Amino acid sequence: MPEFIARRLLQLIPTLIFILVVVFALVRLLPGDPASAILGDRAIDADVERINRELGLDKPIPVQFWVFVKSFATGNLGNSITLKLPVSQLIADRLPITMLLTFMAAVISLLMAVPLAFVAALKRDRPPDSIIRGGFQVGLSMPVFYVGLILLTIFGAKLRWFPVGGYGDGFLDHVYHLFLPAVTLALSLSAILMRNLRAAIIGVLDADYVSFAQSKGLATRLILYRHILRNALISTLALFGLSIGTLLGGAVITETVFAIPGAGRLMVDSIYGRDYPVVQGLTVALAVLVSVTFLLTDLLQAWLDPRMTK
Amino acid sequence: MKNLTLTAACIAALMTAGTSAVGQERGGVMTYGRYADSLFLDPVLNDANVDIWILSNMYDTLLLPSADGKSVEPGLASEWSVADDAMSVTLTLRDGIMFSDGSPITVEDVIWSLDRARNPDNGIWNFLLASVDTVTAPDDKTIMLTLKQPDPAIVAALTVFNSAIMPQKAFEESEGETMAEKAENFGTHPIGSGAFVLESWDRGATMKLVRNEYYWADGEDGEKLPYLDGVTFEVIPDDATRILRLQSGELDGAELIPFARVAELQSDPSINMELFPSTRVQYITMNVREDIAGEDNPLSDPNVREAMNYAANKQAIIQTVTFGVGKPMTTFMSSATPLATDNGPLYPYDLEKAKGLMAESEYPDGFTTSILVLAGNQDEIGIATALQQMWSQIGINMEIQQVDNATRTEQYREGLFKMRVAAWTNDIADPGQITSYFAYSPTIDALHSGWKSEEVDELYEASQSEVDEAKRGEQYARIQEIFNTTGPTVPLYETPYPVALQEGVHGFVQIPLGNNIFRGAWLED
Repeated sequence: MPEFIARRLLQLIPTLIFILVVVFALVRLLPGDPASAILGDRAIDADVERINRELGLDKPIPVQFWVFVKSFATGNLGNSITLKLPVSQLIADRLPITMLLTFMAAVISLLMAVPLAFVAALKRDRPPDSIIRGGFQVGLSMPVFYVGLILLTIFGAKLRWFPVGGYGDGFLDHVYHLFLPAVTLALSLSAILMRNLRAAIIGVLDADYVSFAQSKGLATRLILYRHILRNALISTLALFGLSIGTLLGGAVITETVFAIPGAGRLMVDSIYGRDYPVVQGLTVALAVLVSVTFLLTDLLQAWLDPRMTK
Repeated sequence: MKNLTLTAACIAALMTAGTSAVGQERGGVMTYGRYADSLFLDPVLNDANVDIWILSNMYDTLLLPSADGKSVEPGLASEWSVADDAMSVTLTLRDGIMFSDGSPITVEDVIWSLDRARNPDNGIWNFLLASVDTVTAPDDKTIMLTLKQPDPAIVAALTVFNSAIMPQKAFEESEGETMAEKAENFGTHPIGSGAFVLESWDRGATMKLVRNEYYWADGEDGEKLPYLDGVTFEVIPDDATRILRLQSGELDGAELIPFARVAELQSDPSINMELFPSTRVQYITMNVREDIAGEDNPLSDPNVREAMNYAANKQAIIQTVTFGVGKPMTTFMSSATPLATDNGPLYPYDLEKAKGLMAESEYPDGFTTSILVLAGNQDEIGIATALQQMWSQIGINMEIQQVDNATRTEQYREGLFKMRVAAWTNDIADPGQITSYFAYSPTIDALHSGWKSEEVDELYEASQSEVDEAKRGEQYARIQEIFNTTGPTVPLYETPYPVALQEGVHGFVQIPLGNNIFRGAWLED
């Protein structure tokens, strides 16, 4: 196991280097530059030149790349062009919000998907199964921003159970504010997880070792935990890990609809503003986050199925 | 027009002493929903509306714009006069004025602030004070500006956010090696002289302002302004969510209501749907160069441009895009701009005339062209789609290209675009700024269109130092005539600022230049 972890950690290094190069190139390949974004339609040549000089964008690309790599090596990610704040501070302020939102969405989607997948699988092709699958199909096919607005209107504006967007003060208040957005995010993910897990459980239910366990007279609960859940979860866990990236992407829309000052919104604003330092820093931070999640799900899978470490 | 006058009259009634029918109540915090957060709270170095529109609440200027945006009122200076030769302006500071930290506002602060604002190395607004030669203080109450040449816009320039008076000492004591770094640190906890002070700022979410105990102006009840204890800005980028929060009572006001929702909110008895007069104009810019990137450009033919103007049914676009809120334009600048001409709507819809003009042009069989619109912007997409259909009637096949703002700006600046949808808002109560960008070719080639009129350039240069109001009016009338008849635009409509307020909110105003003014706002219990 330790060897497996070390190997996976080493694999992170080329991934990160690749991300650094791609991010640097991508933001510069986008048409338009920070000066155009900052000054907009009223830009006159003198102002554009002054801004490019101030930002070091008048220097050759290799020099800019060197500055960029050096900034990551020293941990000083520079200042945001539009917000005039250190990029590291912005990431430290905004990323935890998105992480909390994504985490809550992940937990909610598991809480919805796992029990319902069991019910659906055990009552295969009977009414409970049809209802559960039909319901998730609707959830899956509705756009995130639309679901968000419906939830806001019903549970926020009408019933007043939850605030109409915003982020609140203090940890418990944050969780309270993030509940509706997390449910919104969780809906489509739980639908995918539920379908996958249901199919996996059905597969396991038909397996010989389950029939054997049943014939041994083992308690049903023990069979469910020991044999079915553990084996069925492996493929679902892989899917879940991969979905974290999708969840982070979905957070961009959710954060806009629910007025949450998270990293998703910061990313969109920074891309529109051609705020190179923020786009670069935030992309790398998100890439690390996703890589670490992959690593954790790999470890979890390895724990569930030791054959994976080979 | 009637509505505008009425609204202006209402605002005036709430703002001016003695005419108000209701008694102001003090206290309370007004929560206001904005579509985006501010970026940088420095009056001189900022460059975005999200800053400009709220800066005046924190930083006061020597003079203030009137609520209708057309004239000037006293600010930190109680009196001002322009010399007979128009080569200097003298201002008298009020007695006992203080910054929000309680320190006195001195003539040194004023000189330092104005010198910083007009320094050509500082930001993009210094052109507004370019005519100033020196700023001096003959005594500790008097400020004197000497000018390089007469400047008819200089008094209006002293109401603009970039000429705000800042505390020299506090600014210079801010952390940072350079002045730019000091500005960045000062801007995170600014000390100004406006009606409010920044209390806290949670980026991207909430900005809290509290009342400035040292603010100079008196309210109608004889006590110091502002009436409110504070203003809280909530950043809510999604239009639907912003309106939902207003309707649920979590907000006292919300800005930039989409036109599609205006009628609905007007019929809501608990909401006061304001349409504040603005200087915002919406138009199409056409590249009129003979060729673009080696290709022949039909838009260079004046007959083609005139035909397109007549074939554009502005009234239909106003209905479909602004849901009837907008109004047709009479000249390229908004009707709220001083010296704007009004000889009836420009290019009333006339398809037959348009077809005739196309037949006379070099492209009687039509041509293919394209237009840039901001991706995802419903107004711009709506305008372009309507025009695509209207212009197909005169044989023009127009491709709609959706791009993001930075991409569009780049194509625009390099003169590579064919057409684009565009909007403009004035920053100063003077026609000089918009004319410099639209018509005076040395600034940006007349909206980067390549259009040029020697006569307009000469008239503009003359008007910039013409202090005889009547003569300047004639010069501007002629500039507008030339630009409106031969220029590189299709003027579409002007729109107000749609702001929705709770019924119990009074005295708030967004002036035609965009500034949100909270100093006279108050909340009914």
